[in-house]
Amino acid sequence: MKYGPGNWPEKLQEIIDEFKDVFDPMERYEMLYDWANEIEELPQDEWDDDSKVHGCQSEAHAKFHLDESGGFHMRGTADAQIVQGLLAITAIAIKGLSAEEVADFSPQFVIEMGLDQALTPSRANGFRNMFTKVQETAKKMSGGN
Amino acid sequence: MPNFIHNQSNDLIDSNIVGMMIAMESSGRTIDAMKAREDFPILGRVLPSGRNLVYLDNAATTQKPKQVIDAMSKYYEEYNSNVHRAVHTLAGEATDAYESGRQKVADWFGTSREQVIFTSGTTEAINLVAFAWARSNLKKGDAIVITEMEHHADIVPWQILQQDLGIEIRFVPVNTEKFELDLDVLKASLDGAKLVGVVHTSNVLGTRNPIEEIIKMSKESGAKVLIDAAQAAPHDRIGFDECGADFVSISAHKMCGPTGIGCLLATKEVMSEMKPFMSGGDMIKEVFLEYATYQDGPYKFEAGTPKIAESVGWGAAIDWLSQWDMHSVHEHCNQLASWTASEISEIPGITVYGNHDNPECSGVVSFLHDTMHAEDLAHFLDAGGFAVRTGHHCAQPLMRKLGIAATNRASYYLYNTMQEAEAFVAHLRRVVERFA
Repeated sequence: MKYGPGNWPEKLQEIIDEFKDVFDPMERYEMLYDWANEIEELPQDEWDDDSKVHGCQSEAHAKFHLDESGGFHMRGTADAQIVQGLLAITAIAIKGLSAEEVADFSPQFVIEMGLDQALTPSRANGFRNMFTKVQETAKKMSGGN
Repeated sequence: MPNFIHNQSNDLIDSNIVGMMIAMESSGRTIDAMKAREDFPILGRVLPSGRNLVYLDNAATTQKPKQVIDAMSKYYEEYNSNVHRAVHTLAGEATDAYESGRQKVADWFGTSREQVIFTSGTTEAINLVAFAWARSNLKKGDAIVITEMEHHADIVPWQILQQDLGIEIRFVPVNTEKFELDLDVLKASLDGAKLVGVVHTSNVLGTRNPIEEIIKMSKESGAKVLIDAAQAAPHDRIGFDECGADFVSISAHKMCGPTGIGCLLATKEVMSEMKPFMSGGDMIKEVFLEYATYQDGPYKFEAGTPKIAESVGWGAAIDWLSQWDMHSVHEHCNQLASWTASEISEIPGITVYGNHDNPECSGVVSFLHDTMHAEDLAHFLDAGGFAVRTGHHCAQPLMRKLGIAATNRASYYLYNTMQEAEAFVAHLRRVVERFA
């Protein structure tokens, strides 16, 4: 299944709705702060160049695996809470999907959450790099290039 | 007239009152920040967050007064033309305006127009010294002296020369308690050095280095001197001829001018030792199939179509700045920064980097919270309408010396008000209390 605007996984849609109700950017960042606790963290001894999310001001690392039934899973840690919050929501969004579905997953959910700035292709922001890393890994896992 | 009344509060309630509040006494003259603000439409902007913009990123680039914007628009609307070598009215007008910009830069920095080489900014100006002067005047084993306080733009060109020519680079350390250069080491490093490159005012710490003393001791030892004045030009009236440096690099956009233009001030003596860096276009005198001859003076180093609108805009910026006493501008920025540094250093977990009690310190306040990541803090500040810079500020060796990877940096200019400083401190305090 292709996930994107109008067709998000149920859990992600709930998160999007939660963010949509908040107009104050301070509150949105506060919510991201809270979401940062909802990810399975990647212990520092597992950090390596392969896990590093490059182009991010904060130190962010992520690793991925497929479970026995082929479901995609992501663990991640960042020293900036807001970045880790985005990692966490991404991990929840794609949890259990097939590698093909993750490779084809739209990053537009961040815009729907009102976090457009997170998607700015700026060197200061790592979301785009992080999501590209997710998709490229999923593509490889699904047998693509 | 910009509207400073908030849709959502970030503590800027009535900036007209503020203007009166911050009419700071300085050298018998005052900076009327509210009067200055009238010329900056952007400072009245309401952000998508609903907050009014509080622009505290002036060390990265200052805003542009409408006089600069209008002058550049007028150029494009009324007399846009390439300069030099044309006999038509527009080309004449454009050439006059372009060269008038050079004259204004020369006058502002106390030198002659023949010693003003237009560049794209400070970085290109330093690269010009490295590639046009140093590459043909230094040889393997020659030493240059730079400092740990330098911007990458005054480190990397020398590393490239080190790799290409085998020159030696000596570094002057920064004292991490006083945030000053170790002048004893500088003095000891001068023996045999061919060039000393020093930042006038640190973009991270706000430290104003004793360049007069550094120039004197460097010249006495026989070294050429390059001063990176990117952060100094907005605050200081640097007299190039008087200061004795051989090279001074400057960016227009940090002193209310447009991006894309700056200059290298170079004495006629060192200019005569420089070989062209880039070639073609405006730097050419004559070209034959076998060889070419070059223009004299600064034109020799200005290849291609020059920065015409930018020169016009920079000239307009200098005209605009001329109404202010620059010593008072410096005091205004220093007082805002000093007050801010003092206040935020009382916030639990905040460390301020720089000696802001020193009246020579610029309007820069770098700080870091011990548990909140600088990027998180920047998001929360931005959400409140406060534009500050976050990162290593292109000074990673200095960051390493300080034992950190990044700072948040607020930086003031003459149009910033005390109430903006108060609002910034209050917002930062609230963010730390809530999230740290």
